[in-house]
Amino acid sequence: MAITFKDLSYVYSPDMPYAFKALNHINLDIAMHKMTAIIGQTGSGKSTLVQHLNALLLPSEGELEILDHNIKANEKNKGLKMLRSKVGLVFQFSEYQLFEETILKDVSFGPKNFGQSEEEAISSAKKALKLVGLDETYYERSPLDLSGGQKRRVAIAGILAMDPEVIVLDEPTAGLDPKGSKEMMNLFKSLNKDYDKTIILVTHDNEIVYHDCDNVILMQDGKVAYTGDSKSFFEDEANWDKYDLLLPMDIMFKRELNRVGFDIKADSLNMIVDEVSKVIKHE
Amino acid sequence: MNNLVFGKYIPMDTPIHRLDPRAKIIAMLIMLVAIFIPSGFLGYLVLAIFILFTLLLAKLRFKFIIKAFKPMTFMMIFLFVINILSVKEGDLWLNLGFIEIYSEAIIDTLYIVVRLLLMIMVTTCLTATTKPLDLTLGIEYLLVPLKRFKVPAHEIAIMISLALRFIPLIIEETMRIMNSQKSRGVDFEEGKLKEKIMAILSLIVPLFSVAFQRADELANAMEARGYVPGKERTKYKLLKYHFGDFLLLAMSLSLMGAMILMNIYL
Repeated sequence: MAITFKDLSYVYSPDMPYAFKALNHINLDIAMHKMTAIIGQTGSGKSTLVQHLNALLLPSEGELEILDHNIKANEKNKGLKMLRSKVGLVFQFSEYQLFEETILKDVSFGPKNFGQSEEEAISSAKKALKLVGLDETYYERSPLDLSGGQKRRVAIAGILAMDPEVIVLDEPTAGLDPKGSKEMMNLFKSLNKDYDKTIILVTHDNEIVYHDCDNVILMQDGKVAYTGDSKSFFEDEANWDKYDLLLPMDIMFKRELNRVGFDIKADSLNMIVDEVSKVIKHE
Repeated sequence: MNNLVFGKYIPMDTPIHRLDPRAKIIAMLIMLVAIFIPSGFLGYLVLAIFILFTLLLAKLRFKFIIKAFKPMTFMMIFLFVINILSVKEGDLWLNLGFIEIYSEAIIDTLYIVVRLLLMIMVTTCLTATTKPLDLTLGIEYLLVPLKRFKVPAHEIAIMISLALRFIPLIIEETMRIMNSQKSRGVDFEEGKLKEKIMAILSLIVPLFSVAFQRADELANAMEARGYVPGKERTKYKLLKYHFGDFLLLAMSLSLMGAMILMNIYL
């Protein structure tokens, strides 16, 4: 069972003179229990695509199969509210969604909306807060009192508390310092490896795509330009110019070394350095 | 939001669009006074002809004007009912047993309705033919003489133009927050009263928080660019009166005069 887009299109403001077809006949499979990155230029349709995953947007044409739900265009789709507890969507700069008096209340807001009792919701909230690295000292504090990075962790906890099977994140590391960014990615990797969650990331950071994600989907002008394994995507030289990629550092290093005469075969930075030092030692 | 006709600017190039905003504001105020002078149906007819002629010159479509009336229909029906039930003077026109409709009730309501319609037409004409920032500039010029009475004319103008500038941003922010909360299970359409209140709170609190943050940053940005409230600033756009403006002012003043005369002699 995967997440499948079948000939899906989406048009913004359909009856207006300025109608815009953001998604054009998308056919796509997203594997479950993997980490998939969605990349592409601004305006390529990434956000529109992911907003279909929890039915914030309904297709103008075509259909989407996700977790036992079959969402079709122009039909009265039922039970979509429950879908939002199973597909958690974290928006960019998610810290702006916090509003409750205490952090515990804010994180338990989601679970309560989906029917959990007060005690159950608080217990879910505590578990989620632990996952994002916030301990009991944070429970009673005001969410608006924290730093940007901490607020973002609270917002993510708010989605994790609903225990979704699929977690979709729109640029979760935007604006974070390198350490914060690393901690955030470690969290998602753990959610994927240890809890078997399906993680879908919209990102501009090709380092994350190359190092942390299994699969990559490249969006261009509302269409899927590429879908497949992320490592081979970046390592295949044919793709570099075809998609005008900003290469991950390891690959860029290798490319530049080969350009000046080295013949590096390895792909990871450590092994590249080994090969270079071997060559230097022989000269 | 885009369906709200009342207050919307229609970009076109007509003689009315080209008039000085100050003249239009003053003319509107004079017309509003003229509308309220009791001058009988003849007076309203004269006013209506002038206003309709102005709307014609401004190339505003009839459909557009009708749309501007829509928010008022409920109020007008309400007034009609109130008047029928309370006014019992004049000739008895209709007797339906439980309701007696007197001529005065109908005439009173008609007066109120006509006044309302004329008022809406005048104000809609102003906002449809004047860019919001030009309107603000006009208000600023008109308020400047009041500075001797400690009215902060320039500050008021800047506040209005900043508010106008930020409306689209705040609307965008609201949509974003709504989507975030929807993703956490909030239903903005259905639910019990308590749930609806929570839904609105989950929208308003973050919105206020963001708005205050923006205001803070904006204040710093303005200060960093040398803004000091109260200090004299040069203007990018200067307003100058032209012949058309004087014509407009003269026409509206004469109309007001005519209403006063009709009131006295009719």
